[in-house]
Amino acid sequence: MPFHKFIRRGKFVLTPALILPLAGCAKGSPWWIFDPKGVGAHASFIYMMIDVGVMLAIVGATALAIVWFMWKYRKGSNRGAYDGKWAHSNTLEVAFWGIPIIAVGFLAWAVSVNGSFAVNPYNPTAITKHLKPNGDPIDIDVIATDWQWLFIYPQYHHIAIANKLVIPAHTPVFFRLTSTAVTTDFFVPQLVGMIDVMPGMRTKDALMSDHLGTYQGIAADYCGAGMSWMLFKTHVVRKTDFDRWTQMMESNPDTMDYQQFNRFAEPYINVHDKTPAWGHVEPGLFDHVMLEVMNGKKWPLPMFMTENMFHYLKIQAAEHRA
Amino acid sequence: MLVNVPGPWSPLLGRLALSEIPYTNPILAPLFIVIVLAGIVLIAGVTYYGKWGYLWKEWFTTVDHKKLGIMYIILGLIMLFRGFIDGLMMRTQQALGDGPGDNGMKVMGAIHGYLAPFHFGQIYSAHGLIMILLAATPLLVGLMNIIVPLQIGARDMAYPYLNALGLWITTAAVFLIMISLFVGDFSHNGWFGYAPIFELAYSPGVGVDYWIWTLELVALGTTLGSINFLATVVKMRAPGMTWGRLPVFTWTAVSANIIALTSFPCLQVALALVGADRYLGTHFFTAGFGGNLMLYTNLFWLWGHPEVYFVILPAFGMLSEVIPAFSEKPIFGYITMVLASFAIAGVSWIVWLHHFFTMGMGPYVSTEFSIATMLVGIPTGVKVFNWAFTLYRGRLTFSAAMLWSIGALFLLLIGGLTGMMLAIPAINYMVHNSVFVVAHFHMMLLCIVYAVFSAIIFWFPKIYGFKLNEAWGKIMFWLFSAGTFLVFFPMFMLGFMGETRRLDWPFNPQWGPWFDVQEIGIFVYILSVLAFLWMLYVSIRDRHANRVHTADAWGTSRSLEWLTDTPVPFYNFAMVPHINALDEVAWRREHGFMDKKPDHFKAIHMPNNTPIALYIGALTFLVGFGLTWRVWWLTLASLILAVILMIYRSNKGDPGYIIPAEKMEEMDRESKARMLSDDSHQVPHGGGFSGGTVTAYTALDRDASGSLTPPNDSRHL
Repeated sequence: MPFHKFIRRGKFVLTPALILPLAGCAKGSPWWIFDPKGVGAHASFIYMMIDVGVMLAIVGATALAIVWFMWKYRKGSNRGAYDGKWAHSNTLEVAFWGIPIIAVGFLAWAVSVNGSFAVNPYNPTAITKHLKPNGDPIDIDVIATDWQWLFIYPQYHHIAIANKLVIPAHTPVFFRLTSTAVTTDFFVPQLVGMIDVMPGMRTKDALMSDHLGTYQGIAADYCGAGMSWMLFKTHVVRKTDFDRWTQMMESNPDTMDYQQFNRFAEPYINVHDKTPAWGHVEPGLFDHVMLEVMNGKKWPLPMFMTENMFHYLKIQAAEHRA
Repeated sequence: MLVNVPGPWSPLLGRLALSEIPYTNPILAPLFIVIVLAGIVLIAGVTYYGKWGYLWKEWFTTVDHKKLGIMYIILGLIMLFRGFIDGLMMRTQQALGDGPGDNGMKVMGAIHGYLAPFHFGQIYSAHGLIMILLAATPLLVGLMNIIVPLQIGARDMAYPYLNALGLWITTAAVFLIMISLFVGDFSHNGWFGYAPIFELAYSPGVGVDYWIWTLELVALGTTLGSINFLATVVKMRAPGMTWGRLPVFTWTAVSANIIALTSFPCLQVALALVGADRYLGTHFFTAGFGGNLMLYTNLFWLWGHPEVYFVILPAFGMLSEVIPAFSEKPIFGYITMVLASFAIAGVSWIVWLHHFFTMGMGPYVSTEFSIATMLVGIPTGVKVFNWAFTLYRGRLTFSAAMLWSIGALFLLLIGGLTGMMLAIPAINYMVHNSVFVVAHFHMMLLCIVYAVFSAIIFWFPKIYGFKLNEAWGKIMFWLFSAGTFLVFFPMFMLGFMGETRRLDWPFNPQWGPWFDVQEIGIFVYILSVLAFLWMLYVSIRDRHANRVHTADAWGTSRSLEWLTDTPVPFYNFAMVPHINALDEVAWRREHGFMDKKPDHFKAIHMPNNTPIALYIGALTFLVGFGLTWRVWWLTLASLILAVILMIYRSNKGDPGYIIPAEKMEEMDRESKARMLSDDSHQVPHGGGFSGGTVTAYTALDRDASGSLTPPNDSRHL
C-alpha cells in the first residue's frame, strides 16, 4: 500500500537533515556531485568549489548587511540615525559596480575559460594532457534508443552490451554518441558530466576514472515515457578484469546486424533492468544508424503507450521482450 | 498536403472522439464533475443576483486599464493555483514512487507512485507552461496595467481596446490549456518542448498541438500588450514627467516590454515552424531529411531567456517601489537602478546558449556565453546592493508588503549564487538537467511571486480603497516561506545527489527522505494558500474598518499613483497633475502640496467600452481548439469571423466620449467625499464608477443607493 508506506516513512522526515550530511562520509556516498570518482567530474567539483567560495563571500556579506540594516534601522528602535534624503554616494556606487565586475572578471578567467577547456567533452584537457605516450585509450560507440543504451566496443571485436557499461580503470575512454529517435543526455554523475545524445548527429565525450566501483548512469534529458528506466550501471574494473570480460564477451554467440538493431531500437521500457550482450555487432553500425536517421528513418511511438503501465507490461511480455 | 495523423479523423469532428475524454480516470472524472457543479453554482448565483448586466458592462466589455489589470491578476492567481496543484501532484508522485520495487497504484495504471509516465509528463509540462506564461506573466502584466498609467499620470493606456484584446486572447490561452485536462491530453515534452520528440512520430496525440496553440495565443496577447505599454509610456506621460522622473517600476516596465516586443515574435515563428512540421509534414526540426533539431532549441531559448528577464524586471520594479516606501527614503542610486535594468535587458539577448551548454558546442562558444551570462550578475548585484542601501539610514516598517519584498531579496541572493554556478560550463555539465537547476529557477520565479504578493498588498488599497489584513498577510508570508524552504532546500540537495529532472520514477531509495520533506513543504504551502484566502475574506469583511481616507494609503509612499483619490476613479486624475520631481508624492508631501486641489477643470476624453475584444478572444480560442483537433471548418470559420470583426472595428474606430468640465468638477467632488466618508457604498471596484458607459452630453442621475448610474443610451460598439 503506497499510502501506508508513505505514512510509515513519515517518522524519518525529521532526521534526514542530521543524518544525510553524515552519510557523505560513509562508503557509497549518496552525494554524487560532491563525491567525484572520475577525472572530469573531479575537475568540475574543484571549479564548483572555487565559484561557490567567491560568490558566497559576496552573497553572504550582502545577506548579513541586509539583516544588520533590518535590525539597526527598524522604525522605533532608535539604533541608527535616520536620513530621509540620503540616496546617492559616488563611492558606494563605484563599489557596487566594481565588486561584481571584479568578481565576474576573476571567475570568467579562473573557472569559465579554464574550466571550459579542462572538461570540454570533445577534448577534456584534464584527461588528454595526461595521456601516456604509450597509453591505449578505449573507444566506445554509444547508441541511445527509445529507451535503452547500446555500448559497442569497436576495438574488441565489436562486442556490445545494452544498459551496462564496463570500463577499465586508469584508462581514458572516448565515446562517440548518437541516438535513434529523440534527444537524450548521457550522464554518470560521479564520473563524467552530461552530453546531449541526438538523432542523426554525433557527439563526443571522454572519461577516465582511477577508482574501482559501480556508478549509476542516467539518461539525463527527457526523451519520452521510458526515460526513468533508461539507466545503466557503469563498472570501473581492473585492466586485467576488463580483458577477461572482453574475452568472455567475444565468445558470446549472439550477433547483431542492422536489421536486428532495427528491432532492438523499437520502443522498449527497460523495467526489468535487462542487460543483453552481443559477441559481435555489424562493424560500422554506429555510422549506419546515423545515416539511416539522416535519411528519415524513424521508430514511431504508439499512442497512449504508457497511459497504463500494467497494460504496457503485458504487451511487452507478449512480444517476448520482458 | 496535410499529413496523415494516427487514429481516426472525420471532417466534422476532426480527431475528436468520445475516447479522448478521460471519463474513467479516477482523478480527472471527479474533478470534471466538481468543476461543472461549481460552474453551475456560479452561473446560478450570478443569475439569481441579477449581476449579468453588471458583469457585462463593468467587466467583460471594459477597456479601463485598472479593471483589465484586475482581471489579469485574477486570471494569474487562478492559474498560480492550478500550477501549484500540478506541483503538488509531482511532489506526491516522487514521494510515493521513490525506490525500487512495485509500489504503484494499479487502479491508476502506475507501477510506481500513482501517476503513469503518460500523465506525469503532461503534469510537469503544464506546470512549467502555466507558471511562467499563464501565472507569472498575467500577474505582472496586470500589475503593470494598473500601475504604469497611474505612475505617469495617464488616463488610460494608449490603446485601451488593444489592452482588452490582449486580456481576452490570454484568457483564450488559459481556456485552451484548461480544456486539455478534460478533452484529449497535454504535451509531455516539458514547457519548452524538446526537439524532435514533439514531432508527430514521437508525440502522436494532440498534446503537443494544445501546447503549440496555447503558447501562440499567449505570445500574441503579450506582444499586443507590450506595444501598448511602450506607446503609453512614450506618449502619455503627464506634463513634467520627464524620463529622469519616471518611477523605477515604470522604467522596468519599459525595459521588460522592449524585451517582450522584440522576443515574442521569435517564439511565435519557432512554434509556427513546429506546427508546419506537425501539420504540413515539413522538416524544419526533424532528425532526418535535412531538418535541424538544434535550430529549434536555439530559436526557443532566443526568446526563452529574454522572457525570463521580461518576468523578473517588473518584479525588480515592484521591489524598488515597496522598499523605499517602507524605508521612508528614496531608492538608493536611482540612475544606476535604471541603467542596471536596461543592462539586464540588453544582456538578456546574448546568453541563450547557456540553456544547452551540454549540446557540445565547444569550449570557445561555451566560454563566450558563459561570460555573457555572468555579466547579468553585475547589474543584478548592483540592484541588490542598491536595495540593501535603501534600507541603510532608513526608518523601516516591517509591514506585510515589506516582508514579502525582503523575502524576495533573500531568494534573489540564493538564485544569484546558484545562477553563477550554472553559468559556468564546467559546473553546468554536472547539474544541467538535474533538479538543482529546477531549484535555482524556482528561487528566481518565487522571487517574482514574492514581489507580486508584496505589490498586491502594497497597491490593493489604491484600487479598492481598503487595506488587506496585515496580520494574515504576515502569517501567509511565514507559511509560504516555510513551504519554500522545505520544498526547495531538499531540491538543491537532491541536485547534489545527482537526481535528474522529470523522473516519473526516482529510482534511488536514498532520495526518499528528501522527497518526504518536500511533501511536508507542499502541505505548508497549502496552509499558505488557505491563509491567503482567509486574508481576503477577513479583509473584505472588515473593509469599513480598514478603509483608507487619504490619497496616500501608507503615509510614506512616493510615486504619482498615490496622488489621486482612493479608490482611483475611472478617469484616474480629475486634472492631470504637473510633475515637479522624481518621487512626486514625496516631494508634494514635503512641500505641503498634498491637499492642493485643482482650481479649474477641463473636459476630458475617455474611450468607449466594446465587446469586440471579448468576441475576438473567444474566436481565437476556437481557432486554437479547431487547430488542435484538426477541425478545419471550425478553424477557418472562426479565423474569418475574427478578421471580419477586426476590419469592422478598424473601420468604425472609437471616437470615445467627452466628459465636460463641470461634470468633472462634480465627479471629483463626489470622489473626494467618498474617500473621506466612513460608510461608503459597496466594495469599490475598479474605478468605483461605471467606466466607459458615460456619454458626454447626458446628465447623470443618482439612484436610490446614491451611486451614479450610467445613462441608457450608451453604445457599446
